[in-house]
Formats: sequence, structure tokens, C-alpha cells
Amino acid sequence: MKRAKCKIQNRFAFSISYFALLIPPSLRDRRRYLVFEWISEWGIDKWTLLSEIRDSIFSLYGDVGASESNIRLIEYANAEDTDGGMGILRCAHDKVEEVRAALACIHSANEARLSIRVIGISGTIKGATRLLR
Amino acid sequence: MSKFFDLNVHAYPETEVPAEELLRVAKRYGYTGIAITNHDDLVKDDSNSNSVFCGIEIRANSVTDLKREIKLYHGKVTVLAVHGGNDKINRAALEDHRVDVLAHPSVEKREGALNHVLAKFAAKNCVAIAFNMNAIIKSRRGERARVLSKMRLNLKLVRKYKVPMILTSNACSIYDLRAPRELIALASLFGMGQEEATCALSDSPQGILEKRWKKENDVVVLKK
Repeated sequence: MKRAKCKIQNRFAFSISYFALLIPPSLRDRRRYLVFEWISEWGIDKWTLLSEIRDSIFSLYGDVGASESNIRLIEYANAEDTDGGMGILRCAHDKVEEVRAALACIHSANEARLSIRVIGISGTIKGATRLLR
Repeated sequence: MSKFFDLNVHAYPETEVPAEELLRVAKRYGYTGIAITNHDDLVKDDSNSNSVFCGIEIRANSVTDLKREIKLYHGKVTVLAVHGGNDKINRAALEDHRVDVLAHPSVEKREGALNHVLAKFAAKNCVAIAFNMNAIIKSRRGERARVLSKMRLNLKLVRKYKVPMILTSNACSIYDLRAPRELIALASLFGMGQEEATCALSDSPQGILEKRWKKENDVVVLKK
């Protein structure tokens, strides 16, 4: 009995601290999740790909543009049979076309030729993961 | 949904990649068809498919050369493109009604910019101006800034004189191909609107393939 009470208290404390960190929904920045796939000459690891995407955005839009687009690589999955894979990239909801152009500008990574195509866009991670399959 | 075409793709024997491979990737990206336009070399279409169009990109050093090559290939290919060169080549290409596409003028080299006179000729003879997206993809920093500003100028002229325009990838391998939506996003970098860019990828190339804007007596029926 005592133990159960303790557990509930713990959970309560956890939930308070968890929600205190979050910004209210009306103030959160709106995001889009781009599901993309790439084909390349040989396999590319996550960090090379991410740095290549960052480089492309910085080179195309500069520091200010990059800060506005607010990208983050959410998911990365190498394809098993071919040299390529899929991934999910998060960006600001009004910068989708800009990020798409920046992704299209990537032509090589690690001296392997590379081409990225956006398959779909979703407003939630759940929807994007559904597209990934 | 509109049909998308890429009218400037280089395949085997000029590059390493065969046409079938390019077509496979292009189909996956959402293109209806591609036109193989190798430099100064005709690729015979063996596969007999309706998606690969036979074309040529003439690269000439002088106007006499250009005229001779145009005469040689006119009527034998679906897409007759001329590699944009210096001012004289560009002008000779745009003055000739047999030419379908002037590929990437004033982008690769510093000379040979389009101007209002050339744009007028292009509109009169219905020679489409191709915007080469590979130049944006492959270049960085100062070079890309120069390419984009040239394209912006070309776009202004093309809009003013209502010249048909197309977006091309100028791909030499499957890694140079980009999906239509990506090309539209790239076109917005130099000020092309979404509808305009969609038209430049679907309706205008289709018009070129069907010779829609050419006068009737200019069109030679292709011998199969």
C-alpha cells in the first residue's frame, strides 16, 4: 500500500516537471516533417548526410535562413538491398519549399554522388512514420 | 495530374549510364518521358518505348558548322537542341525555325547572354529556352550567384516576349536527375512561380514534342 502511494507520487512529480518544460500549444512553433529518400553510389552514414544537408542550407540561404528553417534529422534508415535509404527531416512549417530546394542542391557526400527526393510531407511524426513504410 | 518531361538528358555512349537505367529512375521520380540528347551523336532508340525520345544537342564551333548539322539532323530527331555557345551561335540557333530548344544559353560560359533581340527571334521561331538546373545544383557560392542572376535575367526576357521555356536536368547520370517537385523548388530560387515552373516541366515540353507551335510546313514527319 505504502509502495503504491509512493509510485503515484513519483509519477505526479514527474508529470509536473515534464509539462512545466513545455511551451503552451498555442506558442509552440509549427513544424513539418519531410520524408525523403536518397540514392547514392555507396552507403552514407547519418552524420555525413546531416552535415551535407546543413552545408547545403547554409550555402543556399545563409545563417539567417538556416535559423529560420530550423532543421533536425529525426529518423534515418539505410536501405538493405540498394545504396540509398530514407529519412525524416523536421523543418519550420513555412520553409518546406526552401528546404526542398536545399535538399535538391545536394549532389555529393563523402565523394559519392547522391540525389535526394522528398516523398511526402506530414504535420506529425506519426504521419511521417506512416509514409516511411 | 500533369505529365512531366525532361528534354535534356545525356546517356550512353556519351556517358556511362544506359538510357533504360535513366528512364527507370525518371519514371520512379514521376516523369512520363525523357529525351536523350547526346552531344553531336544520335542515339538510336532500340527499346521502342514511348517514353524515350530521340534527340540531339548540337555543339558547334561556327555558324557554318551549326547550319550544316541542323540540316543533317532536321527531321531525324524529335528534339533538336543546340548547345548554347557564344553570341553568334545563339543568334544563329534562335533565327532557325528548325531548332526546337536552345539548351542553357549564357550559363556555362561568361559570354553569350540572351538579349531582347534574341528573345524576339526565339518567340518568332518558337525556339524554347532551356533552364539548366544542374548548373544550380553543381555550383556553389560565387559561381551559383552568377548562374542565378543570369537565369533571372533570362526569365525576365522570356516572360516579356512569351518565349516557350523548359526546365531540364541536363543529367549525365542517375544521380543528376531530380524529381519534378524538386526542380520546381529550385526554379523558385531565381523567381519562377510555381505554376510557371509546372508548365515549363509539363506543358511546354509536351508542346515541343508535338511540335505544337511550329508552322505546318516546317514540320517533317518522322520516319520510323
